[in-house]
Amino acid sequence: MQPGTIKTKLLYACLALAVPLLLILLFPKQGSAQEVQNSREYHTPSQVNDRLRDLNRANRNTTKLHTITTSPGGHEVMMIEIGPETDSEQKSMPAIFVVANLEGDIPISTEAALYLAETVIDSNAAAKKSWYILPNGNPDAAAGYFENPLVQDIRNDKPHNDDMDENTDEDGWEDLNGDGYITRMRVADPTGEWMPVEGDPRLMKKADPSKGEKGMYALYSEGIDNDNDGQYNEDVPGGVNVNLNFPHLFKDFTETGGAWPGSTPEVYGIFEFVFDHPEIAMTFSFGSTNFSMVPPKGGRQGSADFQSIQIPESFADQIGADPNATYTMEEVIRMVQPLAPPGFEITESVVASFLGLGAVVNPLDDDLKFYNELSDQYEEYLKEKGMETERLDPEPARDGSFELWSYYHLGVPAFSMDLWTLPEYKDEEEGGSGLTTDMIGEMSSEEFVELGEEKLGMFLEEIGAPEQYSAEMVIKMVEGGQLTPERIASMLNQMPKPADSEGASPEDRALMAFNDNVLDGEGYVNWQTYNHPTLGEVEIGGAVPYVRNTPPAAMVDSLLSVQVPWVVTLAEKIPRLSILKTETINKGGGVWELSVWVQNENYLPFPTAMGEKNQQPRPVVLTLNADGLEVLGGRARTAVGTLAGHETKKFRWLIRSPQTDAINISLESANAWNDRSQVNLGGN
Amino acid sequence: MRIFKSTFLLFVLLIFSLSGLAQSQDVEIPLRFDHYYDYSQVVEAVEALHEAFPEMTSTEIIGRSEENRDIWSLTINNPETGEPLSKPGVYVDGNIHGNEIQATEVGLYLMNYLLTNYGKNEQVAKLVDRNAFYFVPSINVDGRYHFFNDPNTPSTNRGLRIPKDDDRDGLFDEDFPDDLNGDGSITQMRKHDPFGKWKTDPEDPRIMVRVEPGETGEWTLLGQEGIDNDGDGRINEDSEGYVDPNRNWGSNWAPSYVQSGAGDYPYSGNVTKAVTEFMMERPNIIVVFAFHNTGGMFLRGPGTKSEGPLNPRDISVYDLLGENAEKIVPGYRYLISWKDLYSTYGDFTEFTYNQVGAFSFVGELFMSEQETYVAHDEDPIGDEEGGFNQSTEQERERLKFNDRVTQGALYREWESYDHPVYGEIEIGGWAKMSSRLPHPFMLQDLVHRNASAVMYAASQTPDISMEVFETERVSGNLHRVRVRLVNSNAIPTMTYHAVQNKLFPQDRLTLTGSNAKVVAGGELTDRYNNRVNYKEHKPEVQFFYVPGNDAVEYEFLVEGSGTVNVEYVSRKAGSRSATATLE
Repeated sequence: MQPGTIKTKLLYACLALAVPLLLILLFPKQGSAQEVQNSREYHTPSQVNDRLRDLNRANRNTTKLHTITTSPGGHEVMMIEIGPETDSEQKSMPAIFVVANLEGDIPISTEAALYLAETVIDSNAAAKKSWYILPNGNPDAAAGYFENPLVQDIRNDKPHNDDMDENTDEDGWEDLNGDGYITRMRVADPTGEWMPVEGDPRLMKKADPSKGEKGMYALYSEGIDNDNDGQYNEDVPGGVNVNLNFPHLFKDFTETGGAWPGSTPEVYGIFEFVFDHPEIAMTFSFGSTNFSMVPPKGGRQGSADFQSIQIPESFADQIGADPNATYTMEEVIRMVQPLAPPGFEITESVVASFLGLGAVVNPLDDDLKFYNELSDQYEEYLKEKGMETERLDPEPARDGSFELWSYYHLGVPAFSMDLWTLPEYKDEEEGGSGLTTDMIGEMSSEEFVELGEEKLGMFLEEIGAPEQYSAEMVIKMVEGGQLTPERIASMLNQMPKPADSEGASPEDRALMAFNDNVLDGEGYVNWQTYNHPTLGEVEIGGAVPYVRNTPPAAMVDSLLSVQVPWVVTLAEKIPRLSILKTETINKGGGVWELSVWVQNENYLPFPTAMGEKNQQPRPVVLTLNADGLEVLGGRARTAVGTLAGHETKKFRWLIRSPQTDAINISLESANAWNDRSQVNLGGN
Repeated sequence: MRIFKSTFLLFVLLIFSLSGLAQSQDVEIPLRFDHYYDYSQVVEAVEALHEAFPEMTSTEIIGRSEENRDIWSLTINNPETGEPLSKPGVYVDGNIHGNEIQATEVGLYLMNYLLTNYGKNEQVAKLVDRNAFYFVPSINVDGRYHFFNDPNTPSTNRGLRIPKDDDRDGLFDEDFPDDLNGDGSITQMRKHDPFGKWKTDPEDPRIMVRVEPGETGEWTLLGQEGIDNDGDGRINEDSEGYVDPNRNWGSNWAPSYVQSGAGDYPYSGNVTKAVTEFMMERPNIIVVFAFHNTGGMFLRGPGTKSEGPLNPRDISVYDLLGENAEKIVPGYRYLISWKDLYSTYGDFTEFTYNQVGAFSFVGELFMSEQETYVAHDEDPIGDEEGGFNQSTEQERERLKFNDRVTQGALYREWESYDHPVYGEIEIGGWAKMSSRLPHPFMLQDLVHRNASAVMYAASQTPDISMEVFETERVSGNLHRVRVRLVNSNAIPTMTYHAVQNKLFPQDRLTLTGSNAKVVAGGELTDRYNNRVNYKEHKPEVQFFYVPGNDAVEYEFLVEGSGTVNVEYVSRKAGSRSATATLE
């Protein structure tokens, strides 16, 4: 197939507006790859910090700079605070914590953070809340985008002995062909596992022996064997991918995850900052995931289930439980409490740790509700802005990432945005069923059944569903109520996307289309022979570093101006608690009944369901104050507990106030604003 | 209520000054173990040992606590036998839980014993010459300070001084227990109540037993001594912390809803961070003992079931050390943390096994069963009920032990008290320095036996000797050089866990010579039949570990002549070198 014919068959789904026109305007054929990729529009780590300093100088009253740590490579990890309370350590209003490019290889995410900082300064988004914006979470790796040769790597500069030999960081890459890029080397090798893709021999795929395919190439990254150990580039400089070094589902003993959660200063600095700032009410990250569009994934095995707890035999005996039965957390607490010494309170946490129940690893249903609703709203928003949403899927959040940590550990809504992927490649002739997974997800069960076996069968085949999912069976299960179309869509979305008939992955097809049609071939280095000192004749070629996640600089502004304002929209939805009204009733004998209604004025719940479980955001407390106040029923300090979005709760006290008629009521919170009110007994 | 509070404050102040006066004993070498060392005496003891043995010891303040107290370490190393990092490191700490004070005494005792017996006792001299000993005698220095200086139960002041809102009312650490009767201990409160669930034990009126159905009650138990300091209708519900420093380490750490006391993030405590930095700078550490109190146990990991069992080869090393420790300290049991006790996330020995690569034990000192009052022909009572409570029989015996062996030092008799909320109550029960702590007369035995368990483990750290056992000309100027490394002790040069998970580079054997080129080299698996696993690249450098009580052999085919150097470098077992001549 010729590139030209692909072009005519392509249906572009680029994120930018009026793409074909823009493309012609922006990318004249003569543009070199170097210009396109290494444009000045992206900022080096020191330029980013300079930009933050400039913003601070120009906005002395509303901004403040924080350096949370120094990276192993000596970069200051700098953050700008924007808001009405830059002078005070203790904030009375909530804050949004924004971090970008923790992966270190996503330059556009840093630009998005800068763009957001400018937007917030220029708007009234920081009138009643603070913003903490950290544009370069992994500056050591981010610096790599501005180096020659260009290499895409996520490691910070902390030395790590990857191959556990006698030297550290001794075998990095080399730009052998001098094209300014670290790409790949392929070597004809009868033991190699790789072969060219039939339809596009520039692409390589793993041979599948079950299809009679045989590998003929070995693949390496570009470079020599610096330490003569028979391996190529096996101990490149640097150590930790900052965005794998957070505690939720942290993986021990990986090459780039770090020794323990927070072992690298960028991450430990974030721990300290976040827990020193209980006013943080939402986190946002610009990087490789997009919780604005695709909620955090569920379906993990082994999530702690506090509703069905099995008691191991050794303990069951002691507390009089049946080791074969399951109990709810409340039941276990009831069984154990009488055995505890007086004054020792048995809590969920005590039981959970004693029995080793483990952590929650799937997003809680109540939280998925707001994630899904907001994701729908975001899709609408993008449509209104004229931005197509046909794009490659964002990456799922990785174990040990900031995104998962903030959702599971901080108890606040955690959102993220990836800003750009390669436009999805679509072949017009495909899709004979005319169905997509999204369409299925929105169908009612009746509509789904009406599709019929033939059409559904065609669709299942197109998307490469496993054979056991026959159309007949799926329809029966939907009819029988065991499955809903929504559930089917979510299952299908978890499946890897099928490779095309020639074996290229959707990502590779998108890459080549973008390379051929937009970058005019500058996004992919065609294989060229090279005489390698130890491998002999090799070919060097492959995707230009960053081409998959970094749009040409000229596209950046339009991408950011459409997407980044959504962060401000989301930030407006954080819970805001206030006193809706008060009421007093004279019960006689100087006794009054006082009622206070507390409302959550905004959309998001206080706290998230996950926050309720892990007790992480500080509680919101209602207090009554008056000289000589006697609280007969209720407590002078009352935690308001949870308040769903737009929910109102009523609190009631019986009081006597012999000295004064004025009772002060205050609503104190760390991250959902404060409020106060006064009632006048008798006067009202 | 208000009047009560101010008198209460007054007598709290009195307690502080009284306890300040009570502690003033000079610290002298040799250290004595007929009393407990408070925080400042621990520092004095470390300094005194260093002063008495300046060549053999060094001290370092490894960090500062939340309340800015220094955390001291002491290293014992004989400089004549090499730098500390060139020897297997044995690390001993204690008192990570502030109230578990005798754990510190084990460390002090072992320091004192090694130093004062060096030159007198052959085994001790060998241990000191062959190992580097690292001590952090008291980790939770704030907890130790407050345990000695404040009124406490035997179990309070365990955690770090990081304020935490335990009762979720927006206030931090606002309702501690209170020493109402001013006796320096937080004991129990009880009130006469015909509807209470408890009655007086007919054999010992100090003990209460549960009423049976149909019986009338006598007492209601009101929990720990205290008042409702914050007026929220609850008593003692938000005392210090609670961040448990032994759940705050970065290995298999889990947040508080999974692991009570975890802290907000790994190493959020000053002391855990300081000790981690100290240990990471001492990669030679291969044996760790962390002392706690209560239970009489030597515990090893894993801390949770989900981590899966340890490598069987590491288990066999643990078993050897653990089973010997059980015999050295009578009554103590060698157990697996999660399985025989309960699950813990983010504990210290999890970190030292997983990240430092050390065989690591928690030593749970003392068993209250040792407080005996029993004739030689009677069966010991022991603690059979398990769970949280001891049996009435055992409590009767312990009270007799208190009365007749410690002359009443461990128990506060019930006395009436006018409580602001409960009215007339009685206050009494086990004193602060009881229950989890041996009476000082038993301390000497406890510290010596447990220090001996450490010394046994130290005696098994890898002891490597290297010899070039064969140098033979193959043909022309091609020579065969065979090297043997023998580990004469039971502990391998690396844990198998460290090998498997690539925690750090394995031991390395390198052959070099100015006029020599290594053509091939590898492990000699069968010296009689000349079987060698030749390494494909860089044959002059070989990586491996030496198992316990075993040997490994390597062969190099060398082209050239003259002298060749063979060098062995191990992170945990030091370096060895040898030369051979190609003839």
